[in-house]
Amino acid sequence: MEYPEGIKSMPLMEKLGILADAAKYDVACTSSGVDRKGDGAGLGNCVAGGICHSFASDGRCISLLKILLTNECIYDCKYCKNRCSNDVPRATFTPVEICTLTMEFYRRNYIEGLFLSSGIWKSPTFTMELIYRTIWLLRNRYHFRGYIHVKAIPGADGELIRRLGYLVDRMSVNLELPTAEGLRALAPNKHRKNILAPMRMIQNGIQESRNELAVYGNTPRFVSGGQSTQMIIGATPESDYQILNVAQSLYEKFALKRVFYSAFVRVNDDACLPALPGGPPLLREHRLYQADWLLRFYGFRAEELLDENRPFFNVMLDPKEDWAVRHLEQFPVEINKAPYEKLLRVPGIGVKSAQRIVAARRKANLNFGDLKKIGVVLKRAVYFITCCGRMMYPVKLDEDYIVRNLTDAQERIRFGSDGMSYRQMSLFDDGAFGRPPKPEEQLQAALGQL
Amino acid sequence: MRVYQCEDSLEGIFTAIFTAYEEKQNPRDTRISLSEELFLFAEHVSVTPHREKTFKVMNTLKKQFGKEDYLMLCLALSSSHEKKAQAVYQTVAAGLKARCARGHLFDNLADDWVNLAFCLARGANNENQHLRGFLRFQELENGVLFARIGPKNNLLTFLMLHFADRMPLENFMIYDEARGLFGIHPAKKQWYLVREDVEILGFNGTEDWGLSKKEREYQELFRTFCHKIAVEGRENRKLQQNMLPLRFQEYMVEFQ
Repeated sequence: MEYPEGIKSMPLMEKLGILADAAKYDVACTSSGVDRKGDGAGLGNCVAGGICHSFASDGRCISLLKILLTNECIYDCKYCKNRCSNDVPRATFTPVEICTLTMEFYRRNYIEGLFLSSGIWKSPTFTMELIYRTIWLLRNRYHFRGYIHVKAIPGADGELIRRLGYLVDRMSVNLELPTAEGLRALAPNKHRKNILAPMRMIQNGIQESRNELAVYGNTPRFVSGGQSTQMIIGATPESDYQILNVAQSLYEKFALKRVFYSAFVRVNDDACLPALPGGPPLLREHRLYQADWLLRFYGFRAEELLDENRPFFNVMLDPKEDWAVRHLEQFPVEINKAPYEKLLRVPGIGVKSAQRIVAARRKANLNFGDLKKIGVVLKRAVYFITCCGRMMYPVKLDEDYIVRNLTDAQERIRFGSDGMSYRQMSLFDDGAFGRPPKPEEQLQAALGQL
Repeated sequence: MRVYQCEDSLEGIFTAIFTAYEEKQNPRDTRISLSEELFLFAEHVSVTPHREKTFKVMNTLKKQFGKEDYLMLCLALSSSHEKKAQAVYQTVAAGLKARCARGHLFDNLADDWVNLAFCLARGANNENQHLRGFLRFQELENGVLFARIGPKNNLLTFLMLHFADRMPLENFMIYDEARGLFGIHPAKKQWYLVREDVEILGFNGTEDWGLSKKEREYQELFRTFCHKIAVEGRENRKLQQNMLPLRFQEYMVEFQ
């Protein structure tokens, strides 16, 4: 392959700086989904749960060496830092440089593997071929057995993507923006159809490979860690409901492993892009991830969480709490009897807690103390559960009241035997004011002298 | 009440469990203690670690409860909690008595001992997962990879298993500062543990071995990478520290 002269002369440090900087807006940095033992001959293995190796100052995990092959790009997507109309320093790695970096970082336990993406250099197929060469070299010459995640580039030759699939653990195609209109407005060179085509191809490849494995056992596996995608949140005016529906259909129709959401960071000054006076929409991204988990692990549907009349998530409550307070007719749930699916729907009970509850209640009736030990977040769950028919406190199933308690962490439930109502504001609402009655006061009260 | 006193090691505790069963003790009235402390109205028996008895217990545990639960028991024993031996013993006794199926040893979390054993195992496992990621090797002049750790739990064995599978062709060595233990893995050979008091390579704990020439370069490259990969608009130091507690950071090259 012909490389321009400048590429080889630039010091590695500078290249890494430029190309890591250019890759940082890609969100997917997981190394999960593959369990592969070492083979005793190469370097590396994979752990199903993935391993985080460090955390950057933005609090995101560093698991893979996340770099671009090149930040040269022929496209002009408005939201992207590397668009061709931007004047930024450009650099390109040679395949050997990427391999050495990966191997040396990996053996020092800095990283769990490689995440390779790229700007579009010359053409999608040309770039894809460069990526393929790099990965081939890493797997077959350097005998690297760690995790590899690559981006499939829309519009690249299908055969290349197919071959690459057998070398890597995860592939992803970026959906970029949730809807086709958004894409048309901000990424004039990209088309929804072109993005979905390789996605479908990878899905079919994974399915075929599974079927073959069922018959032959030892055939090479195609994208064994599954396929993921990502979309930018807040650059275009879609609602949370639309976004969640897109995610749901991606999980169902394209059998994706993960959909990542990336809060839009305004890196270019462009009239088409929204101004973000409050910084990137991080809370919105967070709520979407919470809802995403509800879709994948808790048996919720997008229609249950949001609808056309309320298309955005509640800022104060997480999606599960929000759903629960709107469906109080389904609560309280009896911990010792309710089916697993119902336990999962209780705020404060996660997948692990629910599994432990189901296992533990076979041996003994559980009380609130046990739940705490099991790991249930009672602060949230207490309004929605009973143990052996009792609630922890006398809680009234009332939407206003529960919302008020859930949203105010400082506020403790204080129910005295004096029947003080939770609605009534009182000077003596806080228990700190309470002082025990003196003996003479008790006497006076008994004799009716108040 | 009968109290078995044993040393703080897997062999010691497993031998004590074996002895308790051998002598047909009622688990409710039996204790396994790691300290020299004496109990009122109790019979004290000192147990010396025994290789065969240990293996017998290990095999029984694996066969009865399955590999995963056996690993959980070992993780619980790697903690430094003073009651860990008793918790593991009671958990095992309850499991054997109820003839619980494989993978169900820790089901009864309402029981205090089972719960304690479970919590210890979970804590140790969490730290194990952390260290798998946060441990940093440095290349020495002779090409050996060397890492220092100082964990709360005694996890060196688990880490050696992980890294031996991961890097079979490397000479590497992990040093547990808190316990004075070395794990040594010669390339393509079986790994082993060495106590600090055994003289190896003139190591005296404080003095650094010389690093290889390339080492500094790659450390610098990784620091650059960590710095560049962060998105400024999302800076969140508190989240970083939540995910990566300070006690790990002192051993990591990117924070030095």
